[in-house]
Amino acid sequence: MAGKGGPFERKSKVASEIPTASMADIAFLLLIFFMVSTTFRREQDRHLTFPKAAETQKMDERRKNILHVWIEPDGAVYINDSRIPMDMVGATVLPHYRDTDRRLLVSIRGDRDVPYRFVNAVTEQLREANAVRVFFHTDKESRARRERR
Amino acid sequence: MALLNRKSKVSDEIPTASMADIAFLLLIFFLTTTVFEEEKGLPIVLPEAAAEQVEVSQSNIIHFLVNEDGTVAIRRGESQSEQMVGQSEIEGIMRQEIADNPQIIAAVKTAPDAPYRHMIAVLNGLQAANAERISLQLWER
Repeated sequence: MAGKGGPFERKSKVASEIPTASMADIAFLLLIFFMVSTTFRREQDRHLTFPKAAETQKMDERRKNILHVWIEPDGAVYINDSRIPMDMVGATVLPHYRDTDRRLLVSIRGDRDVPYRFVNAVTEQLREANAVRVFFHTDKESRARRERR
Repeated sequence: MALLNRKSKVSDEIPTASMADIAFLLLIFFLTTTVFEEEKGLPIVLPEAAAEQVEVSQSNIIHFLVNEDGTVAIRRGESQSEQMVGQSEIEGIMRQEIADNPQIIAAVKTAPDAPYRHMIAVLNGLQAANAERISLQLWER
C-alpha cells in the first residue's frame, strides 16, 4: 500500500489549465483584421456565370475607382442595381468617370452566354463616355483543365 | 486612521472576463459579413471616341473571326482566304505572328449572336501570347 505522497497522489506543479488571459487579445487582433478588410457589398449579386479564362489577372485598382457594369444573358444592363437602357449607359458612366478623376476602371461583368452584340454596344457606350480603361470580368481557369477540354 | 484604512468591498477593477466573449461576438459578425470580392479579369484599353482614324496597312492586321458556334477563322491582310483554327491554337499562332511582325494588330471580329465567352476565349489566347495591340469589333457580314 502506497502511503501519503505515493506515486499516484503526486501533483504536477505545472498548471493544468490553458491560459485564457490572452484570449481577448487574440480575438481582438482577428477582429481588427476583419474590420479593416471588410467592405460591405454595395450592390446586389446578379448571379451570372462569368466566362473562364486562364489569363485572368488581378486588377490592382482602388475599389472606389472601379465601376461594375452587369450584362445579363438577355442583354439587360445594370449599373449600381438599376437597369439602364443601352443608349443611356454612356450618360450613366460619365459622372462616375468625372468623380474618379478620370481614373475610372470599368468592370464589364457579362454572362458567358450573352450575345456579343450587347457587349459591343456597352463598349461603344463606354467609349463615348471616355471610360476606355475596362476589363472583362472572368473566372480563373487552370491550365490543366483547359488542356483536358 | 481607521477611516483611511477602510477598504471598499466593491471591486475597483473593470471585469475583463467577458471581454473575450464580446470580442468573439464582434469577430463572428465581421466573419460572416465579409466578402472578399476580387476584381479580376482580362484588361483592355478601348480606343477613344475622339481618336482620329489611323490608316493601318492591311499587312499589319490579322483578323480573328469568331462564329456563333465558337469556331474561329483567321484572315490575314487583304486576302479573303480563311483558315479555321481551334480556340487553343490561337496563342501559338499569335506568338508566331508577333515574332514575324511586332507591329501586328489582332482584330477580333465577333458575330453579333456569338456568345460572349467565345470572344473571351480568343482574347485570352491573344493575351497569353502577350499581344499588345488588340482591336475588338462587331463582325458585320
